[in-house]
Amino acid sequence: MSWDKELDEVARRRELAFRMGGADKVARQHASGKLTVRERIEALLDPGSFRETGTIAGSARYDGTELVDFMPANQIAGHGTIDARPVAVVGDDFTVRGGAADASIYEKLLYPERLAHDLRMPIVRLVDGTGGGGSVRTLESKGFTYVPALPGWHVLDANLTRVPVIGLALGSVAGLGAARVAASHYSLMVRETAQIFAAGPPVVAHAGRPVTKEELGGSQLHARNGTVDDEVESEQDAFARTRRFLSYLPRSVHELPGRHPSDDDPRRREEMLLSIVPHDERKVYAMRPIVEAIVDRGSFFEIGRLWGRSVIGGLARFNGISCAVLASDPYHYGGAWTRTSSEKLTRLVDLADTFHLPIVHLVDVPGFQIGVDAERAATIRAGVRAMSAIERSTVPWCTILVRKCFGVAGAASRPAGRLSMRYAWPSGSWGSLPIAGGLEAAYRAELAAAPNPQALRAQIEARLRAVTSPLRSAEKFSIEEIIDPRDTRRLVCEFADLALHALTPGPSAQPYRP
Amino acid sequence: MKRLLSPVSGILRTYLVDVGAHVTPDTEIALVESMKMEIPVLAESSGRVTALLADPSSMIEEGQPLLELGV
Repeated sequence: MSWDKELDEVARRRELAFRMGGADKVARQHASGKLTVRERIEALLDPGSFRETGTIAGSARYDGTELVDFMPANQIAGHGTIDARPVAVVGDDFTVRGGAADASIYEKLLYPERLAHDLRMPIVRLVDGTGGGGSVRTLESKGFTYVPALPGWHVLDANLTRVPVIGLALGSVAGLGAARVAASHYSLMVRETAQIFAAGPPVVAHAGRPVTKEELGGSQLHARNGTVDDEVESEQDAFARTRRFLSYLPRSVHELPGRHPSDDDPRRREEMLLSIVPHDERKVYAMRPIVEAIVDRGSFFEIGRLWGRSVIGGLARFNGISCAVLASDPYHYGGAWTRTSSEKLTRLVDLADTFHLPIVHLVDVPGFQIGVDAERAATIRAGVRAMSAIERSTVPWCTILVRKCFGVAGAASRPAGRLSMRYAWPSGSWGSLPIAGGLEAAYRAELAAAPNPQALRAQIEARLRAVTSPLRSAEKFSIEEIIDPRDTRRLVCEFADLALHALTPGPSAQPYRP
Repeated sequence: MKRLLSPVSGILRTYLVDVGAHVTPDTEIALVESMKMEIPVLAESSGRVTALLADPSSMIEEGQPLLELGV
């Protein structure tokens, strides 16, 4: 006697589960410009690679022993591959109770997190719902209230120190859903279809003036304040960026990123590097073309383009070796470290240290942002946190002084307590304080007493400028080497080759901070 | 109608476009002095300038609207 009958029943229930919230709800999901969770998983993973776990979990209604109704749980979980490498995946099904927690099975939500943790693979969260405690209505069905708890959150937290975690906001996400997006190494949201908030407009309206979903938690806010790293135009873009982000990282902290094949000559020289930095220190230049010119062609993956903008950050390859890249953007406060750019630095340095990526830093830092706005924003608090992240990191560093390197932030552009390879371009300029501004502070009494302060100021400035040549710093080994900017790629590729053999797999001494 | 916000705080030195001008992403629309540098403010989207919203030589804050763009 075979087991066909029982297997037929499994197949029937799978069919019911695959209907998700029903044809109407699926049509509404599509009408609001969103894919269903099953379409998302298919678009994210290598074709045919998804292995689902908990396919027929849900809530069933019986008439005697006969199943009369079935509603699947509103998360889909399992694993598959991206570029032939394993990855765990969990997605909210918004078509079932709007992705709310009262239609979820917590153990099922936790399963893919444990899978990622124990079998050492990245996890991608496709978040489209609220998650957490659910509606106040549950008070009536449960008949009691409970002290909130986050069962299993320790696994989500541990994953940040073990495997790459990606949080995608693909709809309106609130509460625990918002936390699951933000508790990640890389997060993004889809423009206009995704919003993130601690509590949505109905709850907020009760506490104050009415606001729209977009005003409260759209990407025009959260991709610009660092709640998420990036915004994208479509869900397909979100999946493409997820796949690309993972391509730079090892499967877990227990492995090294390794070397990708590269056909870009490590000795390639770009002529434009010789003249891109203007002689006039008041004039800016574009840093991104410099980054693009020195990394393996097309390999720069920028993270957080719209927030913490005085620091450009991302992942790239040098001669096939994955590295984290930090670079100042003179277009934003002249490259000075602001509160948000310090937060961005902290996250990127933690990311690099967690997954064993050497760090390449292109420096043009006049210091911390100064002024009333900067003080109001508690810049130095976030700034010293970035300094701690840099100092405690253990991956090899290579620093290129492109132009300015001033003050405490300039000094912190590399870890001080260990070796960091460092090169300066001839445009390099450094010190405790820039002459502009620093001169007035240091010679205040003399200038006040002078019959012609303007003339005295010019005289003093000429004296100071005469000793600021980077060559004088090189005489004293204050800067190790001044290089032709066109040789930057060759030197950084050589650094990456050396660094690859100085990386140690395993958990980082400094646990990742989301 | 879109408003272009200043990416930095500082002193608005000058506008580089007039009302009526057509701008595209990365057109330099103003110069702001910040951190002792002249920082060009770049347009983020395309459109025609319908109003200039700040006074040249005035202090501006990060996020302050600098101009209005019509389609």
